[in-house]
Amino acid sequence: MSIAFGSSHAAVAAEYRNPFATRHIRPGAVEFVFPSEESADSLVRRLEAAAWRGAIVGPHGSGKSTLLETLLPRIERRGRCVVRRTLRAGQRSLGVPAAERRAWGAATLLVVDGYEQLSWRSRLGLLWSCRRTGCGLLATSHRPVGLTTIFRTTVTECLARRVVERIAPQDDVLRQVDLCDLLDRRGGDLREVLFDLYDVYESRRS
Amino acid sequence: MEPLISLGLREPRPVYFPGERLSFEYQIDAVGPGELLACEASVLWTTMGKGDEDLGVHYFERRTPADTEDGDLRPLRQVEVILPKSPLSYCGIIVKIQWCVRVRIFLRKGKESFFEQPFQLGAVPPPELQQVRVESSSTPDEETVEQ
Repeated sequence: MSIAFGSSHAAVAAEYRNPFATRHIRPGAVEFVFPSEESADSLVRRLEAAAWRGAIVGPHGSGKSTLLETLLPRIERRGRCVVRRTLRAGQRSLGVPAAERRAWGAATLLVVDGYEQLSWRSRLGLLWSCRRTGCGLLATSHRPVGLTTIFRTTVTECLARRVVERIAPQDDVLRQVDLCDLLDRRGGDLREVLFDLYDVYESRRS
Repeated sequence: MEPLISLGLREPRPVYFPGERLSFEYQIDAVGPGELLACEASVLWTTMGKGDEDLGVHYFERRTPADTEDGDLRPLRQVEVILPKSPLSYCGIIVKIQWCVRVRIFLRKGKESFFEQPFQLGAVPPPELQQVRVESSSTPDEETVEQ
């Protein structure tokens, strides 16, 4: 009998492993890479200074949801009770029952990932609920949405390189691709670039 | 100190086939008996790849201290499972299906820990990349397709 042991270990057989598979690059699996002058704590302080109402703004695949995953544990440690909603494409309303909204209080922070999906009517209703209950609001959006922008996510070649090196530190995949060209072709969408690298990794097996 | 989960397949084989018996055993160490609130063992498959990932549970058991005579979930426990017909393990390019045994423990103060042991169900060969000429009315082109 062979026994393996450990703790919090998701095993993947070697032939199945691809460091750019969804499970390794999804928000939360990889830490957000900050520019040198910023940190998670500095953003939380900025949000707090804006009375816990702010937005993270950036294009598709620039790391907004990943940044949220990095910030939320720190926000909770500041005593905020996080209520999170992730909106799908085309979802025009938040879909939170009135009874649940009434339970929000001054210590609540509502986090809406994909805020730009909401109709203007839903946004107004949401802002009114937040004002009435004293609840905070942290939104991610592709465009400014009338809340204080606490951070703009952008993808540069340097940042993309750092992210790839974190995901596959021992791998020379970056020698096989022109990262700048990939980013250009994907319109700066780092998520898509990472999926392209998934394909590069797979092509090496064959 | 992190709890230690020891997990092993009994009579391990490179490949298991549908209908065969998978036997595994596990044990928890480096944690006090009163710390363990529950222990789950499951046999499941997960998909891996570029898109959304999926998961299916074939066997599941959850034990709490009340399920044991002495309230101690740590001692060695053996489990046997008859493996299903599908899905078979598959190491494709766009998607992969991996089977594993997972042991997950729940500790006081909301802490959790888990350990997985993969195994292969069935012997589906990996896909081959073949150069296929795709006929086009305007410009002939060559594409690589997964077969």
